Amino acid sequence: MISIHKMNKDAQMRAAINQKLIETGERERLKELLRAKLIECGWKDQLKAHCKEVIKEKGLEHVTVDDLVAEITPKGRALVPDSVKKELLQRIRTFLAQHASL
Amino acid sequence: MWRPPRPCPAPRLSPPLRGPRAVASGGGARTSGRSDGLPGRAAGREGLSRQPQPCRRPLCYEQSERRLHKSLQMKMEEMSLSGLDNSKLEAIAQEIYADLVEDSCLGFCFEVHRAVKCGYFFLDDTDPDSMKDFEIVDQPGLDIFGQVFNQWKSKECVCPNCSRSIAASRFAPHLEKCLGMGRNSSRIANRRIANSNNMNKSESDQEDNDDINDNDWSYGSEKKAKKRKSDKLWYLPFQNPNSPRRSKSLKHKNGFSVCTSASNTLPLLFSSSGELSNSDPFKYSNSAGISYESLGPEELRSLLTTQCGVISEHTKKMCTRSLRCPQHTDEQRRTVRIYFLGPSAVLPEVESSLDNDSFDMADSQALLSRLQWDGSSDLSPSDSGSSKTSDTQGWGLGSSSSESRKAKKKKPHLGLAGAASGLGASKKKRPKPPAPPTPSIYDDIN
Repeated sequence: MISIHKMNKDAQMRAAINQKLIETGERERLKELLRAKLIECGWKDQLKAHCKEVIKEKGLEHVTVDDLVAEITPKGRALVPDSVKKELLQRIRTFLAQHASL
Repeated sequence: MWRPPRPCPAPRLSPPLRGPRAVASGGGARTSGRSDGLPGRAAGREGLSRQPQPCRRPLCYEQSERRLHKSLQMKMEEMSLSGLDNSKLEAIAQEIYADLVEDSCLGFCFEVHRAVKCGYFFLDDTDPDSMKDFEIVDQPGLDIFGQVFNQWKSKECVCPNCSRSIAASRFAPHLEKCLGMGRNSSRIANRRIANSNNMNKSESDQEDNDDINDNDWSYGSEKKAKKRKSDKLWYLPFQNPNSPRRSKSLKHKNGFSVCTSASNTLPLLFSSSGELSNSDPFKYSNSAGISYESLGPEELRSLLTTQCGVISEHTKKMCTRSLRCPQHTDEQRRTVRIYFLGPSAVLPEVESSLDNDSFDMADSQALLSRLQWDGSSDLSPSDSGSSKTSDTQGWGLGSSSSESRKAKKKKPHLGLAGAASGLGASKKKRPKPPAPPTPSIYDDIN
C-alpha cells in the first residue's frame, strides 16, 4: 500500500478510481465482458495458435511462464479487435462519468 | 459524515504500516483504543480542506485501508470533474483498458502454461494421418465424404427369398411382402383368415376363389385400399383358401356372394399383402407369370385348369391370373391350352357369371365389353409401391374401367379378377351401393 504522501494528484486520482471500480464490482464486470468478447471474436483461438507455435519452437518441456508471458502478451494486446476495444473504452468512460464526480 | 473508525476486532490481518516497533505498539494502540488515534483523526478531520499530515499512527491493515479510502474519497471530492480535463479522463480510461487487457493476456498465459505442464495442451489436435483420411472431398459428382450421390438408386439386389433382382430402394418393402413378415403382411393375413372363416361358411365348395387376390378391399377403408393396392401382388398359382373374396362380397354393400359361380374357376392369384402362402407347391418367382419351361406336364395341366396361362409376349411367361383374366381373351387361353396339352384341350374356364360382387354394373358392363382388353400382362408384384404401375395395370382396369376409376383415385387393391376386385375395391370408396343394373346375378341373389 502506498502511503498517501507519496502519491501525486494524478496517481491518487487513478488509485481512487481503481478503488471505485473494484468496489462497485465494475472491474469484474468489465473483465468478464472483455473475456467473453475476446472469445467470441476468435482472439483466444488466434492466440492459442500462436502459443502452439511458440511452444513447439521452445520445446514442450522447457516452457516457462515468463517465456509465455513475454511472447504472448504483446501479441495478445495487438490482436484485440477494434470493436472490442471501442466498446470497452466506452463503458469505462461511462463509469468515469458516473463516478468521477462523486 | 466522517465517523471515527471502530477499533479493529479481528487479529491483525497483515503487518501494520510501520516496522516491528509498530507491531508492538500497534497492539498497544489497539488496546488503548482511540487515544492514540485521536490526534491523527483529528488531523484527518481538520484536513478536509488541506493536505493531511503524514500520520504516524500505527494502524492495522484494515483500518489503514479504510483511512486511505476515506482520504481518497475526500480527494476525489476535491478534484471534481471540473478539476479534470477530458484528456486526463481519457488517459485514465486507456490505462484501465490496458490493465484489463493485460489481465486477460496473463490469465490466458497461465492457462496455457498449466495446460502444457499438465499435458493436455495438444489434446485437441488430430494427427496428420487422420486429417488426411477424413479430409473434405471437393470433387464434382461426389459429396464431401467422397461418396457418389445416388449410388444406391440403380443398384439391384437379389432377393434371397424369391431370387429376383430388386431395386435397392424398393428392396425393403419387397422383402416384407416376400417373406410375409412385417406389419402389413401380418395384418392382411389376419384379415384374410378372418375372412376365410366367413367365406368358408358361405361357400364351402368353392375351392378356387377367383378373388383371393382381392384381398381386403371389402373392408373398404381407404387406407386399406391403398395398402392393398401395393400389397396385392404376390402371385400364387393356387388358390388360397383364405381368400377373402366371399366375405368381401358378403360384406360389401350388396352382400352378395356374387362370386360364387365365377370364383370356382379362378385361382388365387394374389395373396394379400404379398404373403407367399407356402401352401402352394409352386413357389413361383414373383414375376408376373410363370415360366412354362420349368413346369412338368402335370403341373402344366393343373395350372392351366386354374389359371389363365396365356403366355405374355414380353416376358414369355404364363399369365397367372384367373381364368377370367381380362387381359387375355378366351381365344388366347384356348390357344395356350391347345399348345400345351394337345388339340383336345378344353378351356376349363367358367365364364358364366360375371363376378359382379361389388361391381358397379356400369363398370361390369364396361368390363365385359373389355374382355379383349390387353393391358400390360406384366404382373409384377407391385410390392414396389409403384402405385402407378398397379394403377395402370389394374388388372386391365387401367384403361378399361375409366368409369370405375372415376370414383377411386387410386386403384385400391386390384384383386383378382382384376376388374371385379378392382372395381369392387374402388367401390368401397363410393358411398352409394352399387345398384345392380347388371342383371342376372344380382337378381338371383335378390
